[in-house]
Amino acid sequence: MTPVNPVAQSIFCLLTDDSPTVRRVARRFLEGSEYEIDEAENGQAALDKCAVRLPDVVLLDWNMPVMNGLESLRAMREKYGRQKPRVVLCTTESGVDYIRDAVTHGADDYIIKPFDAKVLRSKLAGVLK
Amino acid sequence: MIGAHVAGLAGHHGERDLDKRQNEADRTRMALRSQDSGRHSMYLATALQGELLADAANASMKRFGVVPTPDNYMLWYEYHAGNNAVLRGTMDVFASNGTGFDDNVLHDLHETFISAAREAEIIRDTSKSIQEALRSLIEVAQRAGSDADDFSASLTRLAARQFGDTKDSLRDLVGQLVQESHKMAGKSQSTTAEIRDSSEKIETLERNLAKALAEARTDGLTGAANRKAFDSTIRRLAGDAMNSGDELALLMVDADRFKRVNDTWGHQVGDEVLRHIAATLKRSVRGQDFVARYGGEEFAVLLPFTNTESAMSVAENVRMALLRDPLQLQLTPPMNPLTVSIGVASYEPGDPLAEWIGRADAALYKAKQEGRDRVRCA
Repeated sequence: MTPVNPVAQSIFCLLTDDSPTVRRVARRFLEGSEYEIDEAENGQAALDKCAVRLPDVVLLDWNMPVMNGLESLRAMREKYGRQKPRVVLCTTESGVDYIRDAVTHGADDYIIKPFDAKVLRSKLAGVLK
Repeated sequence: MIGAHVAGLAGHHGERDLDKRQNEADRTRMALRSQDSGRHSMYLATALQGELLADAANASMKRFGVVPTPDNYMLWYEYHAGNNAVLRGTMDVFASNGTGFDDNVLHDLHETFISAAREAEIIRDTSKSIQEALRSLIEVAQRAGSDADDFSASLTRLAARQFGDTKDSLRDLVGQLVQESHKMAGKSQSTTAEIRDSSEKIETLERNLAKALAEARTDGLTGAANRKAFDSTIRRLAGDAMNSGDELALLMVDADRFKRVNDTWGHQVGDEVLRHIAATLKRSVRGQDFVARYGGEEFAVLLPFTNTESAMSVAENVRMALLRDPLQLQLTPPMNPLTVSIGVASYEPGDPLAEWIGRADAALYKAKQEGRDRVRCA
């Protein structure tokens, strides 16, 4: 599918969260800028979408049915290496253990929910630099 | 590979707060190294590096409002020394998410990255006291003879268990111990007093542990949650509401003409007023709701699964409850009935938390402007 208004160098961003509210909010914050958005509702669905077209950046929830975010992240790193896609974990989990595990397994950054527009945009821009 | 990648985590964002001082320190060190070609240059560089790291650690602890305890200092020193990439990455997450470094985070960071020593020590000490109490209980039970056979067997089983590797297993163990002693105390007259004495000791230990954990999050004057607990709870509940799409409302509750109370009858009466409001709030909300002293004479109430309309009626109930059960004090001159003004605002997923609180505060201001003793919503 070609976007209605293709941007010269759009950034392909995959929003992965089982919460429709989170996907809706994140989409609202990113749409209209340079991002091209797709959505997945669990870690496995995200991997399936990656196999079709590799995103530039994945926003990845932790607790999801079917496959959680950390497993999905590990699979992405194993299959595609560490450069692409950039991965930002986005979860309510704020424990030191969780963050340590995400960082150890190759997360580029980590958002502790709830997020607002400013946090989401700056974190994504940060990992894409 | 992991290390290189993780180092990138801090790097992606250019000069992160925590990094700024480090970069200054690096530059200074490089300059000093190139100037000094003498034989002591390496030694000097090392000594200076330590000093600069210490400066950088102090400066960034100050920036994040972290008390420079030895434990915290160790964390920040490690961060700026840069040898532990995972520690750096993890601390960057807290620095950049606006969660800040509260005592729990600092404690967990220290435990995870520096050492498990301190908590292990507390658990070891508590375990030791419990073990001693357990031993004396077993002795008593054995002396009591057949009457206490079951009890003795239970105790021996408990004593054989692996002792308290975590706070939870310790608490669990103490709970079982208390239960067993209560059972036994009912059975045997001859040993009742001794067993009660021992089980009271154990209960005291249990209470002390729970109390220490709770006190850090409680406002000493009113018994409501303190500001620190509010800051972490509002984040947690808003995160949950964002995930689930459920409603979440906030009340900001402020005592009317509180300054006049303090000025006329003194701070002790002012304190009574605050305690009375806190008690009224707690009585007027459900168990899942969260009451905190926000600051001064202002309280905040978080209402999960509650839309604006229902939150308005909770607020109205609070206001009415205060009129129905006034604070009973014999004062000269007599005090006018104590009232509150309340502002209500609902969380919209994606709202910055400060903005949401600001809306509730603006509604509170409106309630004050329109004559006090009323509820307004954003």
